[in-house]
Amino acid sequence: MDKRREFESIVREYSEQLYWQIRRIVLTHDDANDVLQNTFLKAWNGFDNFHGESKVSTWLSRIAINESLDLLRRNKHLASATSEDLSVASSLMADDYFDGNETEAMLQQAVAQLPDVQRTVFQLRYFEEMKYSDISELLDTSEGALKASYHIAVKKITEFFKSRD
Amino acid sequence: MNEEMYIQEKVGKRNPFRVPDGYFDNLTAQVMQNLPEQPKRRAKSVFMRPVFYAAASVCALLVAGAAWMWHPTTEATSADAVQAKTVALPQQDASGEYIDEAADYMMLDNHEIYAYLAEN
Repeated sequence: MDKRREFESIVREYSEQLYWQIRRIVLTHDDANDVLQNTFLKAWNGFDNFHGESKVSTWLSRIAINESLDLLRRNKHLASATSEDLSVASSLMADDYFDGNETEAMLQQAVAQLPDVQRTVFQLRYFEEMKYSDISELLDTSEGALKASYHIAVKKITEFFKSRD
Repeated sequence: MNEEMYIQEKVGKRNPFRVPDGYFDNLTAQVMQNLPEQPKRRAKSVFMRPVFYAAASVCALLVAGAAWMWHPTTEATSADAVQAKTVALPQQDASGEYIDEAADYMMLDNHEIYAYLAEN
């Protein structure tokens, strides 16, 4: 099969799943779309070097998560440079493409305050219900460390809500 | 896990995010449109090549060796007259005397330097 056609079938198969992975990390549709485009661009440029060492979905998710976290870091620098301090929850409530209630927006705010690994593990485990073995392969981290990260993330989020009750 | 249950009961697991109408219908075409015709091959940085390091090491050794060879000893450099002559040496390179004179200087011992200084 022609290389480009082969890649197109990969895009068709995985783009929606990847979009949601990215969206849960970067939160806004525009950012998620940008990161998704970059993810596929990187994947395309590395396509010749991908020889099936891991599953295609794992390979793509790894790129997508790294790209998402990179974007967050860049935005964080930008926000601190411009003294932007809008809360995540209020931004989401004003977003046309977020139709959650205030509690759901607050959960996203609590998650956004977590360090990168805890944040990613929480999103993958809580919302996608991904197995630890799969997350381990994706993030190249031991299952034990991931379980610890998830446990800490859940604890912090619980404390976040309890402190507001 | 009790705390996980607490979050589930309080917030649930519903996906609260939405996308513009028809976004996923056009996504594949949009992604493919943004890709170059051929994958861009990433040029390997020259600094990553082991050969570069080997060549750089050899060059560094040659430069260090040359510097050591063509400079007079510490004692010689302390003598103004010898130093003045040494500085003038590269100008004689074209005449072919450079190597002979440099060899002479390298074979000077302290006694000969003192003698040379006494003469001048």
